[in-house]
Amino acid sequence: MNLFDPFVVCIITLVGLALFGLPIGHSMIAASILYLFLAGLDMGTAAEQLLNSMFTSYTMLAVPLFILAAEFMNSGSMTMRLLNFSNALVGRFRGGLAQVNVLQSLLFAGMSGSAIADAAGMGKVMMKLMTHNGKYTPSFAAALTAVVAVVAPILPPSIPMVIYALVSNVSIGYLFLAGIMPGLLITVSQMMLVGWSARRQNFPTEPPVPLRELPGLTLKAIPALMLPVVLILGLRGGMMTPTEAAAVAAGYALFVSMVVYRDVGLRQFYDSLQSAARTTTSIGMLIAAALVFNYVITVENIPSNINQFLLSFELSPLMFLLMVNVLLLLVGALLEGTTIILIVVPVLLPTAHALGIDPVHFGVVVVFNVMLGLVTPPYGMLLFVVKRVSGAPLGAILRDTVPFLLGLLGALVLITLVPDIPLLIPRLFGYSG
Amino acid sequence: QDVPTLRFSAVVSDQDIRASMMNQFADLVREYANVENYFGATMFRQGTELVALQRDNLEMGNIAPQDISEQIPEWSILTSAYLFRDAAHLRTFFDSEIGEEFKAMAEDRLGIRILGPTYFGARQVGLRGDKQITTPEDMAGIRLRMPGGDAWQFLGESLGANPNPVAYAEVYTALQTGTIDGQDNPLPNVQNMKFYEVMDQIVLTSHLVGYDLLVISQSAWEKLSPEGQEAVQAAADQVIEWSENMHLEMEASLLDEFRAAGLNIYEPDRDAFRVYAQQHYLNSDISASWPEGALEAINAL
Amino acid sequence: MDRIAMIGRWLYRRAENIQALMLGVMFFAFMAQVTLRYLFNFSTGWSFELTVVMWLWMVLWGAAFVVREEEEIRFDLLYGSVRESVRRIFTVITSLALIGLYLFSLPAILDYVLFMKVQSTAYLKIRFDYLFSIYILFVLGVVCRYVWILWTALRNRPRKRGDDPKASSTL
Ligand code: NA
Ligand code: NA
Repeated sequence: MNLFDPFVVCIITLVGLALFGLPIGHSMIAASILYLFLAGLDMGTAAEQLLNSMFTSYTMLAVPLFILAAEFMNSGSMTMRLLNFSNALVGRFRGGLAQVNVLQSLLFAGMSGSAIADAAGMGKVMMKLMTHNGKYTPSFAAALTAVVAVVAPILPPSIPMVIYALVSNVSIGYLFLAGIMPGLLITVSQMMLVGWSARRQNFPTEPPVPLRELPGLTLKAIPALMLPVVLILGLRGGMMTPTEAAAVAAGYALFVSMVVYRDVGLRQFYDSLQSAARTTTSIGMLIAAALVFNYVITVENIPSNINQFLLSFELSPLMFLLMVNVLLLLVGALLEGTTIILIVVPVLLPTAHALGIDPVHFGVVVVFNVMLGLVTPPYGMLLFVVKRVSGAPLGAILRDTVPFLLGLLGALVLITLVPDIPLLIPRLFGYSG
Repeated sequence: QDVPTLRFSAVVSDQDIRASMMNQFADLVREYANVENYFGATMFRQGTELVALQRDNLEMGNIAPQDISEQIPEWSILTSAYLFRDAAHLRTFFDSEIGEEFKAMAEDRLGIRILGPTYFGARQVGLRGDKQITTPEDMAGIRLRMPGGDAWQFLGESLGANPNPVAYAEVYTALQTGTIDGQDNPLPNVQNMKFYEVMDQIVLTSHLVGYDLLVISQSAWEKLSPEGQEAVQAAADQVIEWSENMHLEMEASLLDEFRAAGLNIYEPDRDAFRVYAQQHYLNSDISASWPEGALEAINAL
Repeated sequence: MDRIAMIGRWLYRRAENIQALMLGVMFFAFMAQVTLRYLFNFSTGWSFELTVVMWLWMVLWGAAFVVREEEEIRFDLLYGSVRESVRRIFTVITSLALIGLYLFSLPAILDYVLFMKVQSTAYLKIRFDYLFSIYILFVLGVVCRYVWILWTALRNRPRKRGDDPKASSTL
């Protein structure tokens, strides 16, 4: 390896700048500029790649719109009503409030594409409720909130799936549908684990909500519960494309909050726009910079070289998938998830393709791994959120996540080994893979 | 030995006939140039290759005539409906005197040298439902997906349809769910993207002969030795002819394949479509930039 | 000095307003697009293009003028665990690298953006040099911000750091 090779210098610069704390997006752009210069190429290409790629990535627009939808939901009472509804259903059982946390996460997941939005919005409320009067330890409440939030981007809609679709050219619609079974599988396993912990540690129950109140609570929650239905019907009924569905999700959440529940005014509307726009900048810069860096990767023929290298081991598709799982879990412990999908996954895609692995199945496995990365130390965004809100020490939170993490790992292995699980629903809707 | 490197970038996947065409081209000119092929739009996005060629960030490309007409308005005639009858007519044109004039325009104003037209299939209308289409009037109200941009939407209108821009990647789902009623693409694309699975019929309108232009930048051309230039042009002629034949064969076999898959395939009143479309173009501003007499000259070839 | 700070804050709030407006425009253009097509079978190419223009501008505008240090997505393992004084050295190095490389590439980038006058967008016919000028603003905005960050680090001021995880990831 020649240390003065432009590509080697580029990689060293990128890693160095990122390690020294420069935002990852700027690190990628700066390193790419240096590469272009050293390789004797036109440095204007940095702008050319960023601008044209952003301008033609129409499907990416789903990202800001799903973020906006989550903002609308969290700024009104939509999520509170889901909580009351969940409590009426499962609060009465042992470990009731913990079960409520799992269930409300499932319901929220059907409307939101972001795990962080779940933990930072609804999760905050749940952690307060669970630790009130010392019912649950702060570390358990925090650990549970972190792991149940994982389901949000696995069930449709999903921001990481939109980003995976960008790098893989797979249909967003089918990716979304493929998340349904894994999402339900995760929820069922989490409910079972909560039930098991509840008996072992004798968790409290909630005062049962009288059954006669159930219809009223359901009615109040129905407009919120209808959002996933509106999305699926709109998509299947030919009203909109997946990208437009993101806008409709935001529009519906706004309509319910402003007109039906009447608890969001113009002020909150503006604040939601502002907040979503800020968040869009953070993630958008990462996407934009990855599109520039991708030019360097292409010119250097990296994906095809890695493909040749991997194929030389004559791996079976299954061995490759298991290897991908291990690799992604390792990088997921260290790196932010968007970066992984944008930078690491593209170099694995040609091999997945060559081995005949279904791209939708592969996408679900990738997104699942990235979600696990959100709850694995040392770098786990969800862990940071719940630690800050709960104030519990990270070590105690980590200890309490262990049984749930094992559950998630089990689900991951199952989904990796049995492609029929994620692909069942897409096939019902005409997917031929 | 030290030969110039020619980077070629295209949108087509590495499985496409045109990718194989370019790999053959690379082999044929190996002695004079080192051709590096980048497929799948990994290097430059669709529609940005022309500027990359003009700025010497790329040496070769397969450029859409629509992209050229953005900078040379006269070229828009070469993107209009029912201009070329078939692949043979297309090639005759580019070998003819008037074809040379158009090539010279590109050379002088954009600094690119056109090696030849690469045919990739005639565009046909594919629809959901069983409504029989005979004339442009039957197309009224049909939501036909066309590529984005005014020029393409105009082409959709000139078929009598209600054009809709939907991203190419979303066309399958949009057809399946009925967001759109139809799309227009050459048959190989219909197979590639599996559109036929969600269509009920193909109306053989052949409204546009689909082609790109195999192009080399003027500066790269001048870096080649005289023998190198000769070899590049000869290789281009050879692989373009091969690719054209492959596409024609493929179109024929795809018709059988789609019929077997249960699609209703038939020819409408093409003359009615031709008259309607050409009239639509002539009545609009678009034809104002067409060189005088070019339409008649091309028709007469 | 207070006056300058006041003007700065005022400008910052306007930059925020503009960014929120861009997202608002995108949102309503989408609503119009879905409604017009679904209810009236009326296709709107302009809305298609307007939304993408907003996406491009919103991201680069925000990165140049709106985003706060603590909202950036960064790799925190080493940077977050070292002493304040070491972190300041890191900041000086990375700021210098960013300022240097961004300014060094600026002439080539200007050349590209100006070249793009030969093309216009498909529907709204916006000349691409105007549309792409946002990248110039982006470079200038970011460079100014990093000059400020460098200045603060050199003057021994501790750098404000938060870990608002809501903004630094959206997955
Ligand atoms: Na979701
Ligand atoms: Na992690």
